[in-house]
Amino acid sequence: MNLVKKQLPLLIGMAVGVLVLAEFYVPASWLDVTREELLTFAQILAAAAFVLGGVNLIQVNYPKIRRREEDWQYKVVLLAGAAIMFAVGFPWQDIGENPSPGQVTVVDGAAAASGGAALLRVEATRDNALVKVDGGSPQRAVVDGRPLELELQPGAHTIHVYMPAVGYGELRTELEVAAGQTAVARAELPMLWGPSGRVRTWLYNYVFFPCQATMFSLLAFFIASAAFRAFRARNTEAALLLGAAIIVLLGRAPIGRFIYDALPEITNWIIDVPNNAGRRAIMMGAALGGIVTGLRVILGLERSHLGSE
Amino acid sequence: MDKGRVHNRPSLIERLQGFDRRWIFLAMALAVVGPLLRPCNLPFKASPMVKALYNTIDELEEGDVVYLSADLDPPATPELEPFFRAVVLHLKRKNVKIALGSTWYAAPPLIERWIRDVVEPQIARPGEDGYQGAPDRPYRKNEDYVWLGFREGKQAVINKLGSDLWGNYDGRAADGTPLDQIPFMKDKRQLDDFDLVILLSAGSPGAKEFVQQVQTRYNIPMVASVTSVMTTDLTPYYDAGQLLGLAGGMLASAEYEQLVGLPGLGTQGADVLNVGQIVVILAIVFGNVIYFASRRRRRFS
Amino acid sequence: MADAIPFIEILGYWLGIFLTLAILSFLYKDNPFYKFAEHLFIGVSIGYIITQQYYDVLEPKLVDRIGVPAWHVLLVVVLFLVALGCAAVAVRRRSPASVATAAAAVFLLAGAVYSLFQSGNHQELGPLVSSIDWWIGLIPLVLCLMMFAKSVSPRWSWIGRYPLAFVVAFYAALEVNGLVQADLGAQMQRSMADLDREKVNINEATPEELTQLPGITPPVAREIIEQRAEQPLSSIDQIEALPGLTPAQRATIAEERGHLIGLDARAGTEPGQRNWFRIFSEVLLLLGLLASLVYFYFSIEQKGAVGKVSRFGVWILMIGFGASFGYTVQGRLALAIGRAIDVMGKDKDPALAERIQGPLVAGISILIIVVGIALWELKLRRAGRGSAGGPDAA
Repeated sequence: MNLVKKQLPLLIGMAVGVLVLAEFYVPASWLDVTREELLTFAQILAAAAFVLGGVNLIQVNYPKIRRREEDWQYKVVLLAGAAIMFAVGFPWQDIGENPSPGQVTVVDGAAAASGGAALLRVEATRDNALVKVDGGSPQRAVVDGRPLELELQPGAHTIHVYMPAVGYGELRTELEVAAGQTAVARAELPMLWGPSGRVRTWLYNYVFFPCQATMFSLLAFFIASAAFRAFRARNTEAALLLGAAIIVLLGRAPIGRFIYDALPEITNWIIDVPNNAGRRAIMMGAALGGIVTGLRVILGLERSHLGSE
Repeated sequence: MDKGRVHNRPSLIERLQGFDRRWIFLAMALAVVGPLLRPCNLPFKASPMVKALYNTIDELEEGDVVYLSADLDPPATPELEPFFRAVVLHLKRKNVKIALGSTWYAAPPLIERWIRDVVEPQIARPGEDGYQGAPDRPYRKNEDYVWLGFREGKQAVINKLGSDLWGNYDGRAADGTPLDQIPFMKDKRQLDDFDLVILLSAGSPGAKEFVQQVQTRYNIPMVASVTSVMTTDLTPYYDAGQLLGLAGGMLASAEYEQLVGLPGLGTQGADVLNVGQIVVILAIVFGNVIYFASRRRRRFS
Repeated sequence: MADAIPFIEILGYWLGIFLTLAILSFLYKDNPFYKFAEHLFIGVSIGYIITQQYYDVLEPKLVDRIGVPAWHVLLVVVLFLVALGCAAVAVRRRSPASVATAAAAVFLLAGAVYSLFQSGNHQELGPLVSSIDWWIGLIPLVLCLMMFAKSVSPRWSWIGRYPLAFVVAFYAALEVNGLVQADLGAQMQRSMADLDREKVNINEATPEELTQLPGITPPVAREIIEQRAEQPLSSIDQIEALPGLTPAQRATIAEERGHLIGLDARAGTEPGQRNWFRIFSEVLLLLGLLASLVYFYFSIEQKGAVGKVSRFGVWILMIGFGASFGYTVQGRLALAIGRAIDVMGKDKDPALAERIQGPLVAGISILIIVVGIALWELKLRRAGRGSAGGPDAA
């Protein structure tokens, strides 16, 4: 049983690892093809891991709600948020007939404009729709409750009818009109669900974005507090660190030039020379460590990631 | 055990050491909001790494195609969005085609918004907002630019971009258009078919992984605009010539805006940086002053 | 077109501002507003991530490759097994509930079989399964299912070792390849570059070499080439004095003058002149690198001469860390500045910012949060638990 539970996975790991390592140095088309497939497998597994993580979070939080543990009300908010986001992420409009964003027809209209021009009439089902002709400035498609009518020069034009908010179908077409013709652009602009859908984008813009950005911005405050409490120049090394930090801080802000003319140049030199010397040493040292660890993993010498048993 | 203290009232030094840090938070909040209300508008000059980036893009010619990987999430937008605006303006002025992709799951809605606001419309008109340079033109979907989409997999994705870009994106753009219907993508099967690779990185996977996995292997011309925290990790690559230009942080984005001639949020943000940094420096200085003073007191008491 | 933007978007901006301030309230102390925002965010993230990963990766690479006919057949098979299981339970227990469930399962199975034959998918399965590409496409599906085994039962966690071993070894190999070439090879190559750096001789340089110099743009380079054809330049000052230059170009050149890292350091008028500061920098770069590497070499005792070199290495590293720290502070500040710009509406079209009234909404949010926290603290105090302390006590 040890074979199947412990040895075989390691063998598979070794095979895959050696193959990928070899592919880098050995030009063989079968190696290439295998690697391409393996890359795809890795992508799928990585994505599945995220899904697994998400499912796990739900598995962990649901019992906490049932047992009414501390802060259970917040877990309800968590699950509700996940459920809503999940539900709106499904492209509901794809079930059944796919609604079209609209179409453009060109007719020989009697109500055409004068002077050898053609007419564009935009019939949009939504009040807020906007129209761009040939990439110009956007205009309202519905003016005083009536469809927008524009004069067009005879010839080819691109019409783009869309909503100011993301998540609706758009009408993009190219058409040709001759003098005296009327092009009628009937824009349905259905609301979309699924990725790039209306509600999902709304939730991303006004919940996900501000929350994540603000959580990270808390760091700005903590670093100021840490600067006061913890960054002590206890010895020469620490003093060097803080000194370099202050010079770089000032040199990389507009105020640096104000304080001392050559400060930005000094900062650039510090970054180009001593910083790079140290960083390169770290990079090379870490590379050596990474290579050794990587080879150990591939050869099966490192098994801690597989857990104990 | 109380050894019988000589002073019962805590000294000034001891009180300062126990300073409630929420006052520092307040100072920081004021330092961030204040300059937005009263800008200082101090001038600045572009640094060599950013100038190198600008020159690399300036050397592109009409009809070239660049691959732009936006590997970021919402917190990185203050530092990288101004650069995106400025670099896309630069590319549009030169009539360069842009293929956009991403390896971060939080990026697609952001990129789609940026495409709508920056890539598709005309964003620079001479005379407007003090802009003096050449105007750009609106870019058409799947003719001048293409949004390829997001793929998970970190180094696996980056590696696949280097050998089989079409396979990575399953032969289609994010909106489902097959890649063989997009004229400028027809012969772009892998990253080194592009004339330049531009990276906007907020962390891992990002510029470092691109350099490690594909730049050196295929000798791909590459430039990167990254968040501040990543910058010093990447300067050795710039020094070794693996990156042809490197813009690190909000100030670098502001410098690029200046080079392109369209000041925006980067320039505005760089202005605010001044006061915030002074607050942090003062905090370090005061913290050390108190520390040394208390050490001296203890030595003599 | 700010007036075209629907009200629900304005409402969204208000929600965003409120959530921003709710999270910032953590700086005062952990409180219900923060907890609410945090949990809402985590929930929304989970839903977002799962859907994004499915549509951008799993669907095109896994689901579509296996194909609708195959999934349909798989659904029928799964429902068959479920119906079988429910029937077995019903036979044993004979309770109305179990019989009803079994009946429902059979009904679903019948429906699935009917739709399978209706849609003709059963015919399309044959050609699909006959290609080896399809079978290869099954492998990641099997690996994914093995990954999920642990969730079903902890006894099955060993099954998850297979995909895990694959992924870890795979990425390790990719990493090793990348490190060898980019982090080791290219860096060593750069470090061994020629230490002797010469100035660019403006009397003989190509236009490309001239434009590399600070302050020398292509038009200026052309002027230099024109001038040196008549008579070679004898000093860098003469560049500024070239007749065909505009005042702006002259000003740029003047700004870039400098004997350490400016134009005077990098440009010369005779062959063989050395850029001394650059040579010094290159030497320092190499020595600093070597000294830092000596510090990292923990296998030898860090005493005596080695100790001194190692100490110098530590100093170099400290300067590097200091530079990193400086950048990190900037990065953190930028995060906060971004939020401030967003809340105050400075990044929006003025008409839109007018509609949103960011600062006003922020003020109202702060008021709500302050009053809310005050009431919450009052409630806690009455419950006898007292004040929970600052954010460090969280």
